[in-house]
Amino acid sequence: MSAPRPKPSGLLQYLGSPFVTLVLVTALAFSLMILVPKFNAYALPGNQLGYEPTQPVAFSHRLHAGELQVQCLYCHSGAEKSRHGGIPAANVCMNCHRFVAAPLGAIHAEDDLAKKEKREPRRVVSPEIQKIYDALALNEKMQPDPAKPTAPITWVKVHNLPDFVYFDHRPHVNAGVACQKCHGPVETMERVRQVEDLSMGWCVNCHRGVDRAGLDGNGNFTSAPAPAAQGPVPVTHRVNASIDCSTCHY
Amino acid sequence: MSKKRTKRYWKSLKERDAAPDVLNARADEFPEGGPRQFRRRDFLKATGFTLGVAFATGCSRAPVQRAIPLLSQSEEIVPGRSLFYASTCAGCSAGCGLLAKVRDGRPIKLEGNPQHPVSRGGLCATGQANILGLYDSQRLQHPLKDGKKSSWAEIDHEIQSELANVRRDHGAVRFLSGTITSPTTRAEIREFLAGFPEAHHVVYDPLSNSALLDAHEQTHGVRVLPRFHFDKAEVIVSFDADFLGTWISPVGYTADYRAGRDLDAKRVSYHVQFEPRMSVTGSKADRRLAVAPGEMGLLLTHLAQRVARKVGAPFVSPELEASSVDSVFLEELADRLCRARGRSLILCGTNDLQQQLLSNYLNHILGNYGSTLDIDKPSLQAQGSDKELGELLAELQDGKVKALFVYGANPAFDLPGGDGLAGALRKVPLLVSFAQRVDETAALARYVLPEQHYLESWNDAEPVSGLVSVSQPTIHPLGDARSLVESIATWNGKPKPAYDLVREHWKAEVFPRQKKESNFDAFWDRAVHDGVAEVESLPIKTREFNTQLVRPILKAQRPETGAFALVLYPTVAMLDGRNAYNPWLHELPDPITKVTWDNYASISPTAAQRLGVVDGDVVRLENDGGSPEAFELPVCIQPGQQDQVIAVALGYGSKLSARFAKVGPQWLDAIISVGDKGVVGLNAAPLLRLSDGVLQYDSAQVKVSRTGRQRELASTQTHNTLTVPKKLTPPGSGARSVVQETTLAAYLKDPHAGVEDHEEKEDLWPTDHPYPGPRWGMVIDQNACTGCSSCVIACQVENNIPVVGRDEIRRNREMHWLRIDRYYSEAESGQIEVAYEPLMCQQCENAPCETVCPVLATVHSEDGLNQQVYNRCIGTRYCANNCPYKGRRFNWFNYAHDDQLQNLVLNPDVAVRSRGVMEKCTFCVQRIQEAKIEAKRRGERVSDGAVQTACQQSCPAQAIYFGDLNDPNSQVSKMMANPRRYRVLEELNVRPAVGYLTIVRNCSQEGKEESKEEHHG
Repeated sequence: MSAPRPKPSGLLQYLGSPFVTLVLVTALAFSLMILVPKFNAYALPGNQLGYEPTQPVAFSHRLHAGELQVQCLYCHSGAEKSRHGGIPAANVCMNCHRFVAAPLGAIHAEDDLAKKEKREPRRVVSPEIQKIYDALALNEKMQPDPAKPTAPITWVKVHNLPDFVYFDHRPHVNAGVACQKCHGPVETMERVRQVEDLSMGWCVNCHRGVDRAGLDGNGNFTSAPAPAAQGPVPVTHRVNASIDCSTCHY
Repeated sequence: MSKKRTKRYWKSLKERDAAPDVLNARADEFPEGGPRQFRRRDFLKATGFTLGVAFATGCSRAPVQRAIPLLSQSEEIVPGRSLFYASTCAGCSAGCGLLAKVRDGRPIKLEGNPQHPVSRGGLCATGQANILGLYDSQRLQHPLKDGKKSSWAEIDHEIQSELANVRRDHGAVRFLSGTITSPTTRAEIREFLAGFPEAHHVVYDPLSNSALLDAHEQTHGVRVLPRFHFDKAEVIVSFDADFLGTWISPVGYTADYRAGRDLDAKRVSYHVQFEPRMSVTGSKADRRLAVAPGEMGLLLTHLAQRVARKVGAPFVSPELEASSVDSVFLEELADRLCRARGRSLILCGTNDLQQQLLSNYLNHILGNYGSTLDIDKPSLQAQGSDKELGELLAELQDGKVKALFVYGANPAFDLPGGDGLAGALRKVPLLVSFAQRVDETAALARYVLPEQHYLESWNDAEPVSGLVSVSQPTIHPLGDARSLVESIATWNGKPKPAYDLVREHWKAEVFPRQKKESNFDAFWDRAVHDGVAEVESLPIKTREFNTQLVRPILKAQRPETGAFALVLYPTVAMLDGRNAYNPWLHELPDPITKVTWDNYASISPTAAQRLGVVDGDVVRLENDGGSPEAFELPVCIQPGQQDQVIAVALGYGSKLSARFAKVGPQWLDAIISVGDKGVVGLNAAPLLRLSDGVLQYDSAQVKVSRTGRQRELASTQTHNTLTVPKKLTPPGSGARSVVQETTLAAYLKDPHAGVEDHEEKEDLWPTDHPYPGPRWGMVIDQNACTGCSSCVIACQVENNIPVVGRDEIRRNREMHWLRIDRYYSEAESGQIEVAYEPLMCQQCENAPCETVCPVLATVHSEDGLNQQVYNRCIGTRYCANNCPYKGRRFNWFNYAHDDQLQNLVLNPDVAVRSRGVMEKCTFCVQRIQEAKIEAKRRGERVSDGAVQTACQQSCPAQAIYFGDLNDPNSQVSKMMANPRRYRVLEELNVRPAVGYLTIVRNCSQEGKEESKEEHHG
């Protein structure tokens, strides 16, 4: 007759009891409930959807493109004639910011304060705009200061494609594709955020779609330079959004 | 049309002799071999490791990308758009016009300038490869004093004070340079030397044509190099002048030569070449005769005697030794020359005064001066004088020279004399070297002044009298270098930037030489825009032709029995060794031998048999002059070479090539690319002779003996051999050859001659490619192609093709997308004929590669391209195994891109491929896309000629046509309809988009040449 197996002592004695099983299953269910929604945040490699990095200058697209209605191509003029849309050079900013150094509210506040204190109003420069002046090494009179070094502004790229993809802004802009189609409602964003996943499937779906239904979905196959009013659309004006591999990969 | 094929084409002698290992190996796309085999266990280990690493690296976050815009952007600069600036190539003294493609502030590609009257849109392989020199991280960044870093201010001060001493002591000052065609630089040097009581400028060319100029001094009274007009010549007889390959101005000559061989206008020149070894020019000749170098003078005399008799000119010629060339042929040739008086051209490439005088005499009595040779508007592309060089060397030995400036030359490397010369140079109290890299001469110099790359500075050139061109900077200088004119202007006491110097010189000297423009600024702007301006040539006073000095050469100089005549020659890639730093050019297969990364001793098959050596056997060359050093080189057996000649390339063994010890993938089995001495190849310059006032390249005699050692040459000769499957050969005849050719006589009877029709059978393939828009296609005129390999480098630069190194080439792993297959064949006369066939991906309609790709990484596009999607490719290599043209290249490694500076040359429009990916030619799809997008932007069709592939753009012979085959009016469609057009391996029915035009040799089938004047009209 063999000796009976000794009974486990301590916490181990509860192992195998239905109570513990119940606790574990509940815990698993809870943890899954917490984890599953988080999985969405773990995107596939290369998917930067929702990427919203901090920029060196707190430039607001909402203010410029939304409120002030500055055209996208005013600053990103490369989009029409080059592969790259381009980030404007600091001298483009200076077209306006030579005269606009601070928000109107701040200037009024300084005026009021000066009136109250019975002095000349001081020049108000917003700290963000000051960064442009620093980049260009401008002094208070908006003249280049040879003593200061110039330093271009290092922006953080938001919309970034892999190196084996050759995207070209020109055909898209010239065909009349709205900037927002790929970049989202930039005119509402304080800080630019990536709103489309910029994946190949997303590109190809659009290319297929415009070839079938036209750019506006209503069979408008013509791109920007308008053809003669009547007759079939000449081949040079057709959209022809190609889905050949070599459209983007070479 | 079932004609019996008599001609056989072969790429190597082994193939001709049907050695079984070669025949078996050629079917293999990826021949296995080497000392180590990859075993199954190795494979499993590697796979496991790769998986592990892939997972580990996959966990990292995407790096933050930054974008830095310009601070102040001028109107014409748009990031991402390329601008083209006209400039002048300074790769050699030919001064071809070029367009530098500048992208985001850095030049990335050099192309030919189609508006340039001399180079006419072509640019040679070395010219294009020059751009790598700009981004060379081993280029000198600052001045050196005694080998240590110094500053310009310090060096200027010291040199000026030393020069003051030399001036006071009436010491000899010498400026030694290669040919300088820049009028501004020459004027500055003149002014500089005028400040010394005893100073002059000595010009020498390592590849000397001194005798040619000296001969004109004697016969015409002016020391000039005539401008040759190959386009006007109907009969060209060249005595060892490699004018299509390396002689003086090959790009311009090729363009002219091609213009003189126009089959459509039925105007085809007849070209005879006498030469000891197989040169690029000889390979294109209608009649090529292998002649020992010692016999060249005798032959010239034979020809001069016959022509003189026929035209009734005086020529004393007593007893002449018989020549090895058939006298019936010489008689015929003389007849032809006499019929083409004033329309013929005699060239002599040997650096021998007597032979040059005879050549001048022949041109004179044939009335060629003034028509095919222009000495009123001479060429300035070679100005060297070996006599002055000899005098300078004597002065150096005597220690007479107190200050020596060396620019654009490397005498310690490219002249004979070796240590003696180095010692003499070291004795010079003030030795200043202007150099881009520390070469052999700069290493001896006390002061080394870094010279700017010509893409960094302003300069000018006058390659032909009356044709001035501008060289403009295309990038901010990369180091603390200074151009020669700026240095000299500083020492002349008027420091100015090169721009001011060039502009002022033009205003004073060049502008008055023209009358079209009255405003200098407008003239200058136009010249900078076009890159070139035509002005009046400088007046030249020639005198009546002086026949007094022309003497017959009565005897041939034959080497003693058992000895060989040594011929030293430049290669298309290395020239005199100035390109030794350039990996692209080391890896460029020689147009004829297809050997890379080495020089070698070329000998004829008969001589090889006599010596009992095979390819790769190392032989020892012993100079009869008793040179202390023995030269040991591997043998390369060269069909078509004279039996008593051994030929060795110059320009190898330079110190500058020591850097290639680490080129190519450094893996377990790798063998380094450099030789025993740590450099690539062996310097043959010590075998040169400077005697009778000229540098002699072919006068030495050598004894050749076996060493018993082996050094396998990295030759691409037998790689990628095309074969027609046995089952497709028509019954009763052999396989159709991959090269198709005919003779001029047959062509004139039937333009379709030589094109073998293939049997049309019912097609099993559905026509599933409608090509609604354009369909891209290419036609290559094999008759025009000279094999110069400019296209190979053009493709390499444009498409970011890596350098793999000598060892990888040995393993059949070269990466060139475009290769030039060179085939030999034997004519009935026994002459070895050469056919060039540039081959790249043929963009087949029924592409065999597409059907076997398991991941659809290679698919057909709607405009007829066979697309290769690198990011989709998993590297099964099925496609390459199934490609009958062997046009695909596999990335066996991640080829080095560690050199950040060198990476600036990469084309941003083309992906850099990584390990395990197949790649190939896609007709420069990035250029097609660019043209399509631009056309669309303007609302136009893509016009014919808007897309130029890289290979097509720079071809000096304009042998490549590219365009839309769906457009019946495009040039390429017209060429496709040319009766000469055939397709390579057409019987496979893969329907390639590349057509080839047959080679038409100007000789009849009976072995008797047809003369073209009989066929006019």
